[in-house]
Amino acid sequence: MGEFIGLTIAGLSLGAIYAIAASGLVVTYTTSGVFNFAHGAVGMIMAFVYWQLRVQDHWSAPAALGLSLLVIAPAIGLLLEAVLIRRLNVNDTGMTLIVTVAVMVALMGVAFTIWPPTIGRLLPQFFGPNGHVSIDGELISYEELISIGLAVATALGLRLFFHNTRIGVAMRGVVDDRQLMAMNGRSPQFLNALSWMIGAAFGALAGILTASTYTLDVLTLTLLVLNSFAAAMLGRLRNLPLTFLGAIVLGLANAYMTGYLRLTGWLVELRPVLPTLFLFIVLVALPAVRLRAGTAAVSKAIRVPGARASLVNGAVLVAVAAIAAPFIHGIALGNVNEGAALGIGALSIVLLSGYGGQMSLAQYAFFGLGAWLFGETGHGGNPLGLLAAAGAGAVLGALVALPALRLRRLEFALSTLAFGTLAWYMFLSQPQIIGLGDVNIPRLHLPGLSLQNDRVNLVFLAVVFALLSAGVLAIRRSRYGRILIAARDSEAACATLGLNLRLTKILLFALASAIATFGGAIYGSTQLIVTSNDFQYVSSLFIVLIVYVWGISTPGGALAGGMSLALAPLVEAHVPARFQALTYFFTGLGALTILTHPEGVIPLITERLRLLNPLAAYRSRQTRQVRVANEQLLTTVEVRRATPADA
Amino acid sequence: MPLLQTREVTVRFGGVTALQSVSLSADPGTVTGLIGPNGAGKTTLFNVITGLQAPAAGRVLMDGQDVTDLPVHRRARLGMARTFQRLELFGSLTVEENVRTAADIRQLWSRDRADVARMTDAVIARVGLRQYAHSPAHTLPTGLARLTELARALATAPRLLLLDEPGSGLDGAESEEFGRLLGALAAEGTAVLLVEHDMDLVMQACSQIHVLDFGVHLTSGTPDEIRADSRVQRAYLGEADAVPTGARA
Amino acid sequence: MTAPALELIDVHAGYGSIEVLHGVNLVVPVGSLVTLLGPNGAGKTTTLAAIDGRVAPTAGCVHIAGRHVNGSPTQRVARAGVCSIPEGRGVFPNLTVDENLLMVTQLHDDLTTSMVRERTFARFPQLARRRHLLAGSLSGGEQQMLAMARAIVTDPALLLVDEPSMGLAPVIVAAIYDVLGQLTAEGMTVLLVEQFAHKALSIADFAAVMSNGRISVFCEPADLEDVAGAYLGVTA
Repeated sequence: MGEFIGLTIAGLSLGAIYAIAASGLVVTYTTSGVFNFAHGAVGMIMAFVYWQLRVQDHWSAPAALGLSLLVIAPAIGLLLEAVLIRRLNVNDTGMTLIVTVAVMVALMGVAFTIWPPTIGRLLPQFFGPNGHVSIDGELISYEELISIGLAVATALGLRLFFHNTRIGVAMRGVVDDRQLMAMNGRSPQFLNALSWMIGAAFGALAGILTASTYTLDVLTLTLLVLNSFAAAMLGRLRNLPLTFLGAIVLGLANAYMTGYLRLTGWLVELRPVLPTLFLFIVLVALPAVRLRAGTAAVSKAIRVPGARASLVNGAVLVAVAAIAAPFIHGIALGNVNEGAALGIGALSIVLLSGYGGQMSLAQYAFFGLGAWLFGETGHGGNPLGLLAAAGAGAVLGALVALPALRLRRLEFALSTLAFGTLAWYMFLSQPQIIGLGDVNIPRLHLPGLSLQNDRVNLVFLAVVFALLSAGVLAIRRSRYGRILIAARDSEAACATLGLNLRLTKILLFALASAIATFGGAIYGSTQLIVTSNDFQYVSSLFIVLIVYVWGISTPGGALAGGMSLALAPLVEAHVPARFQALTYFFTGLGALTILTHPEGVIPLITERLRLLNPLAAYRSRQTRQVRVANEQLLTTVEVRRATPADA
Repeated sequence: MPLLQTREVTVRFGGVTALQSVSLSADPGTVTGLIGPNGAGKTTLFNVITGLQAPAAGRVLMDGQDVTDLPVHRRARLGMARTFQRLELFGSLTVEENVRTAADIRQLWSRDRADVARMTDAVIARVGLRQYAHSPAHTLPTGLARLTELARALATAPRLLLLDEPGSGLDGAESEEFGRLLGALAAEGTAVLLVEHDMDLVMQACSQIHVLDFGVHLTSGTPDEIRADSRVQRAYLGEADAVPTGARA
Repeated sequence: MTAPALELIDVHAGYGSIEVLHGVNLVVPVGSLVTLLGPNGAGKTTTLAAIDGRVAPTAGCVHIAGRHVNGSPTQRVARAGVCSIPEGRGVFPNLTVDENLLMVTQLHDDLTTSMVRERTFARFPQLARRRHLLAGSLSGGEQQMLAMARAIVTDPALLLVDEPSMGLAPVIVAAIYDVLGQLTAEGMTVLLVEQFAHKALSIADFAAVMSNGRISVFCEPADLEDVAGAYLGVTA
């Protein structure tokens, strides 16, 4: 009995933290329409700020809490809303996700730099080491009770705020009708900003509680957003009572599982993936969303090179690789090889997100699967191993896509991250698969051609990349490619023309995942030795972010993205250890270029270069008039979409 | 037998009844008008017919077959096509690609192996968009964008065409031309259901007109009957004796 | 002489590159009710939007009580004393009746919620029985009454009403117009957009007819002939 009570209290206390974090997420998302991926990261920063005040600067707990929760956290929320979020089109799921992921990465950089993880940090418990009560022999810390109390207070406070205060009711009302709220004299923008301030404060509270009860760790706290998301999905990110219920269920499940189940073997990893499992159950149980007209985001058309141009580009790339290879030495050669291999895998992102408009945050799970399968089936570097990897990827991709039609794009994108987490813990990290130790993967062996030499391998990778990107571009130019773009622009229109969206999406995911696992196999063959840490699920966020920045709709973006990831350590090596994590910061900051150049850096450069050609410049001048008109019309479309439809 | 029938279709949004037991039908070879003040439920009815909105009660029949539970794309494959009041163009594709994609999609499900390129050209020429064929769709002014949606619908060779305010954004001459196009489509045996605010166009093109008012099917009849119907005048003008006298209360 | 409550001078406005208003000139004198008539698409709603800040005029001047307000955001125009009741859905459907009334007090700290309720329910007793229901579950007429509460309670310097009778039963329309007539009698300045010409003309001091983004006629209601033609195309 005592054990049961102890576990229940522990579960409730964990659930309470999830509930506090998740309610911040829900408040922000409901009012402003933007899912804050950096929610956990804000909480993480605030936990460190609190540590700084409390431990380093010897503030009292109430003063440190007051300043953190009531001043600094809301200020961060306000800053994010005013500088970034205000400029986003909430219908553009990919963009809102990427921008908040960029914020998350930047905040991680800030934390790593100011509070280097090499030093252990402990937050004192609010009531010291003796702050506990004993029930039936079980020690229950005041910490746990405080979390529960705060969650109850949060629930009651939010209920009061949203139903009994003028400003709280206005935050619910603005969701119904922004213009009408303005007509009532209350600025909708102000309410948005307020929702970000409140969200940040709850994120901070959850972060500080997690840090003082469990651990003060950058990654753990940052990924609190995932657990919150899982809880909030029960209420479809909009319903606070259901969110609380989800959080409590998650917390209790975690505690009982820890206490009662003696998990062995691969099941030991069950606990960290519990929120993910919970999420999957919720996703399957949720009613499917209906196809809706009027939610499409207008995207810019990007020049698609013809078949000849793409082959010429590929030939140039191979030539460059062949010429440059002899001049690359030492560690750099390995990194460049790695970058090329990642670039091949990243082509899957171009197909999936650039053309198909679907966000997948699980690419590294597919890379890992590909590398492992190639190691298992490609004995002696047998090329058939590549096919096996691609085939398995296609099947798995199709399976992952199954819930895609039931969910909104944002929900689905977040679910893929959950899938990635699951795949890493339950599969890639298992010692029978890859595990944390080194696993040898053979170098690919082509009949009559040895790739053992890294320079030869590099040229080979260039050839593969050139061919595969020509293939991806051919898909884009094909009938299927046009249908993909069409489905991205308006699912409702495609369905009313007779397109089976489910099949289309499954095919898209199968294709993209085949490319990803193929790339993973190539990556394994290039690296020769891999560990599961090479395929850490968080990396999936980074690669999508970076490819997005370079250009999500162009193969060049994939290559540049892969290279950036692989070459970053070379740059870091020249940076003093104290500031190495600033690469995170600048990556995040740099990623914000997509606010002004959503099409990416590479299309921007190629367009500039194209204009150096006098004939092209002349043509462009001719069409500029039209383009100006386009921009204005784009706003027209937005205005039209912003006005309520004929009911 | 009518090609399309709705039987007592009711739709509620929360507590608001958007459609109340609406029954109407559309016959092959005719243009049927659907008019009513803003908010009357016309677009909602289109969404129910095409499957984008599930009715709270009532059935939708195509060729006498109940399609109420079929998903959107399956209904399209029975020969329904529509345009949208709030445009749903493929903005990053050109006009020609918009139309061609529709023809491509049709090839995925139709047994008819019509030549996609020829069909695309023919449809674009028919709606008069040839000179805009290579303009990106998101650059088009409203009138042309609506024509592009029409062309896209026509590229699936529909038997039932649902047009949601196709005339807004067209000037007088274009509107007349558009009316003639509707007549020609009907003459080929297409059933056209037309939601439109431009009364001249409705009166010119439709043989039968249904009037919706606040979700209720008010009346139906020929253009002349509708013009003379006092209830319609009331729906639009608010009073039976529609000629203002200027007397001040 | 005091400045007119509203003065539009050669106002141009539209959406993106599409201009809807091609130079609107209109004066609403203090204490009068002006009704703005015209067929669908003439620019009536856009005119209101240009006044209350939903659309920024590209040229011309919008003066409210002599103050230049071009391009001010909607909430600031509201704070300047303009009460704008939009077409069709002037309520927050997912808030209760009481909560909708609470929104009315958003910038009127002198108004207590009980005062708002009292005045509203005095005018529309049937809303009192629906206090705790979601506004979206009310009938169209009740929703319009609830929307009108803002005009009744806040005593605005200028009231803009967009098609208050749209889709409503005649008896409800009569009730709404009673209120509008009474507010005018009490001295409120109103600009009323209507498709239902007849009703509007019966309480108006002046009528303005719009076509193609301009005011084509401005006169007293008695001098206005054949409005019906503009709507049903009878004369076409």
